[in-house]
Amino acid sequence: MKTKFNEEDILELLRDPETQREGFAQVVVEYSERLYWQIRKMVFSHEDANDILQDVFIKAWLNIEKFRGDAKLSTWLYKIAINESITFINRSKTKLNLSIDDSDSFLVNQLQGDEYFDGDEAQLLLQKAVVSLPEKQRLVFQMKYFDELKYDEISEMLGTSVGALKASYHHAVKKVEKFLKESN
Amino acid sequence: METKKQTLADINKKVPFKVPENYFPQFNESIMAMLPEKVVEPVKPISLWDKSKTWVYMAAMFLGLIFTMKVLVTTTDTSNTVNNTASTSLSQEDNWNDVKISEEEFFDYIETQFVDENYYNLVNNEVYSNSL
Repeated sequence: MKTKFNEEDILELLRDPETQREGFAQVVVEYSERLYWQIRKMVFSHEDANDILQDVFIKAWLNIEKFRGDAKLSTWLYKIAINESITFINRSKTKLNLSIDDSDSFLVNQLQGDEYFDGDEAQLLLQKAVVSLPEKQRLVFQMKYFDELKYDEISEMLGTSVGALKASYHHAVKKVEKFLKESN
Repeated sequence: METKKQTLADINKKVPFKVPENYFPQFNESIMAMLPEKVVEPVKPISLWDKSKTWVYMAAMFLGLIFTMKVLVTTTDTSNTVNNTASTSLSQEDNWNDVKISEEEFFDYIETQFVDENYYNLVNNEVYSNSL
């Protein structure tokens, strides 16, 4: 049975080398699903999301001593997950001989045949619209539209002001609407 | 597959992805097995020297300072003593210069010297000897 997650208690466990592994096991249980969905929305493929999630937790485990508790643990983990996902996307582009500035639409092209895609044509079209957005706008759109996170939370994770995030989200919605309209 | 819903508001907001059955519990278990062991470095015991070396350094510094001060003060005292001695000799000479005796006292002193028999003989013999 999953016990109630208390960040203060977990941090205590993480600070002590004797109990660090036990504490980290609780962190994994608490955050693996949320981080997975964040990564999956960025890279689309389940296999890739799985690999990246493993890297995120291994990186977090190796660097847990550097986490000073200035921000929330969830914010720190989300930052690692976002960075790892962006690194993965850029590495994939290099492998495909694409420029960093090229669209990330290659990520969504194989989605239709993916056994772990569970949507209809309209949802696929929406994913294509989302992937056509610039990186920052896409992140903001995914966090706000799909995850329904508050601007304050997104601001902490992305290190961007709430005002800038609102503007980004507004632009992103406009672009998605335009993409959908043009696809009719 | 439906393609009629083309505005954002009409499209199902649910993320259209799924995961393999029992994925998350399995992941949670497997990732813990993948985590590398951390080498816990034994805490190095702090020796008595480590604890006290700061104080020892400070004490040595103060002793050095005191020694330096003492040497400087002693050197200054010696030069002062030399000056004082010189000034004392000078003042003694001054004292003799200040001594004043009358003519009468002076002749009394001479007479006393001649009255001394031995001294008289000595002087005469010498004169005699010289005359020879």
